[in-house]
Amino acid sequence: MREPSVLLQSLRLARRELRSGLRGFGVFLACLFLGVFAISAIGSFSAAAKVGLLNDASALLGGDLEIRRMHRPFSDEERAFFKARGEMSQVIELRTMAGNALKDQHALVELKAVDAVYPLYGQLRIEPNQPLAQALAGQGALVEAALLQRLNLQVGDPLQIGDLRLQITGVLKVEPDRNVRPFYLGPRVMISSKNLTATGLIRPGSMVTYRSRLRLADPDRAEPIIAELHAEYPQAGWRMQTWRKAAPRVRMILDRLGTNLTLLGLCALLIGGLGVSGAVRGYLDGKVMHIATMKCLGASSRVIFNAYLLQVLFLGAIGAGAGLLAGGTLPYLLVWSFGEQLPIPLQPAIYSLVLFTAALFGLLIALLFSLKELGIARQVSPVVLFRGYSETGRKTPGRKIWIAIGLTTLMLAALAYFTSGDQRIAGGFIFGVVICFLIFRLLAAVVINLTRRLPRPANPSIRLGLANIHRRGSPATSVLFSLGLGLTALVMIALVQANLGDLVNGSLPEKAPAFFFLDIQPDQVDSFEKRLASLAAVSRIERYPTLRGRITAIKGIPVEHAKIAPNVQWAVRGDRFLSYASKLPEGSKLAAGNWWSADHQGAPEISLTSDIAKGFDLQIGDSLTVDVLGRSITAKVSNLRIVDWSTLELNFAILFTPGVLENAPQTHLAAVHVSPAGEDEVFRAISSQFPNISAISTRELLSNVSRTLDRIGGAFNAMAGIALLSGFLVLAGAVSADQHRRIHDAVIFKVCGATRRDILLAFATEFIILGLAAGSISAFAGGLAAAGILKGPMNLDFNLHPLVILATLAAGITLTLVLGLAGTWKALGQKPANYLRNE
Amino acid sequence: MAEPIVKIEKLHLSLVGGAGPVNILCGIDLRIEAGETISILGPSGAGKTTLLMALSGLERPTSGRVEVRGVDLGTANEDELARFRRKNIGIVFQSFHLVPTMTALENVALPLEFSGQPNALEQAAKALAATGLANRIMHFPGELSGGEQQRVALARAFVAQPSLILADEPTGNLDRETGQMVMELLFTLQQEQKSTLVLITHDEQLAGRCQRSIHMADGILRPVGGENR
Repeated sequence: MREPSVLLQSLRLARRELRSGLRGFGVFLACLFLGVFAISAIGSFSAAAKVGLLNDASALLGGDLEIRRMHRPFSDEERAFFKARGEMSQVIELRTMAGNALKDQHALVELKAVDAVYPLYGQLRIEPNQPLAQALAGQGALVEAALLQRLNLQVGDPLQIGDLRLQITGVLKVEPDRNVRPFYLGPRVMISSKNLTATGLIRPGSMVTYRSRLRLADPDRAEPIIAELHAEYPQAGWRMQTWRKAAPRVRMILDRLGTNLTLLGLCALLIGGLGVSGAVRGYLDGKVMHIATMKCLGASSRVIFNAYLLQVLFLGAIGAGAGLLAGGTLPYLLVWSFGEQLPIPLQPAIYSLVLFTAALFGLLIALLFSLKELGIARQVSPVVLFRGYSETGRKTPGRKIWIAIGLTTLMLAALAYFTSGDQRIAGGFIFGVVICFLIFRLLAAVVINLTRRLPRPANPSIRLGLANIHRRGSPATSVLFSLGLGLTALVMIALVQANLGDLVNGSLPEKAPAFFFLDIQPDQVDSFEKRLASLAAVSRIERYPTLRGRITAIKGIPVEHAKIAPNVQWAVRGDRFLSYASKLPEGSKLAAGNWWSADHQGAPEISLTSDIAKGFDLQIGDSLTVDVLGRSITAKVSNLRIVDWSTLELNFAILFTPGVLENAPQTHLAAVHVSPAGEDEVFRAISSQFPNISAISTRELLSNVSRTLDRIGGAFNAMAGIALLSGFLVLAGAVSADQHRRIHDAVIFKVCGATRRDILLAFATEFIILGLAAGSISAFAGGLAAAGILKGPMNLDFNLHPLVILATLAAGITLTLVLGLAGTWKALGQKPANYLRNE
Repeated sequence: MAEPIVKIEKLHLSLVGGAGPVNILCGIDLRIEAGETISILGPSGAGKTTLLMALSGLERPTSGRVEVRGVDLGTANEDELARFRRKNIGIVFQSFHLVPTMTALENVALPLEFSGQPNALEQAAKALAATGLANRIMHFPGELSGGEQQRVALARAFVAQPSLILADEPTGNLDRETGQMVMELLFTLQQEQKSTLVLITHDEQLAGRCQRSIHMADGILRPVGGENR
């Protein structure tokens, strides 16, 4: 007679076993669901946002192609060149002060002057509804609702901008090309470009951005036109962007967020893996006699292994499938619930690659964390049927299974690495996870050994608690793992947040100025300083002439080809503030080279901050080329400075020697230190006397940044919440998997004369020791991970917050204790007679 | 006349099952003198094990009174009963009920540890030596034969030198030869410690070794022809 194939036998067995339902797999399914949900939700959201951005790209950019330049308007010739290639719209933007013309109230606004063709793409929404041309006719101005609130204005009221008195004709509700930026310095005011000159704000050196947008007959022509513009005007000093790369910062932030959140999601899934392992162990422990019986009846180890593997995969598919469903529908739900309120246009769809990756993560985790248990189950000896107790010794799954576990781990790591947007971060994450697993494995071994070697305490319950940790089959390892990894993630997140909070906690750094005043015209400097000097609240003024310029070459190599470290990429991404000084500015420390003499003459030299020099691989004597208003200046690096930016004192990354920039059109930038009580007075005094000077309040700026970080923090918190929930599920799973044994032990203890207090004390001792051990190592590992994240990808300082760590650990350990004891409460309340009768 | 160690009066005990309350013990009256050995015989379902549980304070009477060494077990709370048990009662089960994750030594030491005795492990080792398991003290239950496991259970029941030993078919899971050995040990220990023994068994020959036998059926006791010897 032919023996049926192993697969067929396994399938038949698996099907019969599965008939008994999903009992005991709650934690297994919940862990996989949460992890896969997190990963697929982030992936789907990110993809929907990217596709949405691309769909709306032309509207977001304001055209198929945008050419922008600071300071210098486009010449007639340039404009003619643009017009020959498509329909053109011109937009001019600057930051300035707006005032309530009737009261002495001022606020910083982002002013935008538009022409009659604006917007080339998309629709504006104005309240009350009216055509844009009508709203901006005469001295009409549209404003964001926030400005009305800030200046106590209403539609119809006058609004003073520079020298021009405008009239508010409506509220801007939707502005299609409002750059999707993390934060703004002030609310929007939109006027007609015809009125801009009358404001008197366009002066030499004013920070004005000129934008020419083109609508092309064929949007794909955008790139060839850029090539033409480069060829025709190599020295124009403008920046160009096509619809394909609209909202680059949003994309970058999305990518960053996506990468980091996916890794946090993966963290949740990994912690959930422990739940998978615990559930499979619990299930298979309950099946020992069953497996032994089947082996007695002739089932081979392979059949047993395959039958249970099939069950795990089937259940894994259910958990992961539910997670995919929830994750995949998230963008639909967001659009359905928030619609137009969303800051980013979302294009919900089923993004199959995202879902496939998330599913693969889920199944690999299910496999990785159940292989060992399956391997052990495969080796169950039929002898247990005759002995009554299964062997409690250390069990290993065998060499083949260890190899399979190794291969699955590698596959998982490769998947995490290659699907990540930032492989450096992914690599760091994988390294961190491996280290964490090793640390907690080692910790488990140390704790178990230590409790075995400790002198026997006099109190029998404490002795029992200790014995519970080191006895055979103790759940100490899995509790330490789940609690340890969960607490590590918690400490890490709490520390990163606390450090970000340090940056923006609203209280200003001691040396921080209260205001930055921008766009001070050279002829206003004297009167500006005189006015400040007349105010008692002002304690110190620092003022520098400033220009905007961009770095174009490093050691003669154009920046596009130069090797630049990721942490200083920002320096070449756009225009930078430049200045010149004869003395080393306060708050700077010379790190290398010598400061130039006060009467320096000769070839231009620059002083650079040492972090940029390091990122550019520049040494003293190397050259840096900067484009200032179309003029290319190559200067030798003569010294390096260390600047503590966190003090928010006025400083510059690039400082020139005197005698290089003096003749270029420039404005002045001043940092003014004011006692907190006098801030309002200073703001009012300057804004009313110098309407063209923009005042940025450091306090407001920080609260703006803090709001943005709060929003980003919200997303992180949600992910961290999922990771934590997984951690607690795992813990609950580990405790409940051990429930049967605890009830059995509690009953025997009661028979032997133990009171409920004795038993409670024994269980509490066990959980407190495990909690403290896991907690102390988590504080260390979480601190290390937080320092790595802050100092690495975020490029920020790391402060250890012992109180945050202690509070986090106390909360975590208390919860564990509560959870652990709640789980054993059932064991305590068990009536021995019922249990003994049923055994 | 000395006070009996066990005094049961009009003991009724009902358990609530799926089909409603079931009367297990229906008015039991029993007195057992200190040092006496008594066997309870009867068919399965007669209520023997329930009587034993009521005697150990593991089951609470529905009505009536159970007194052991003058203590009314019906009025004591769970923890008071546990404390009473650790000093006064040793129990031997048919299916041993050892803690599988503890060694033989640790299992035996449990009652002493709970009563806070300082040299619990030394005493447990002696008790195990007395059952012939001196060389198996560090073994786990899964590593011992059925007979050995029951000897560990006997050592655990006797280690605190309780005045009352309750044994529920202690040989039920053992072969005849091993069973005889275990019973020899049980009676030897009982005689050494002069403890009172209540033995539940199906084996009439075994029951005959006790000073008195009682038959139990449908929750009621009937004496079997007076004293055995």
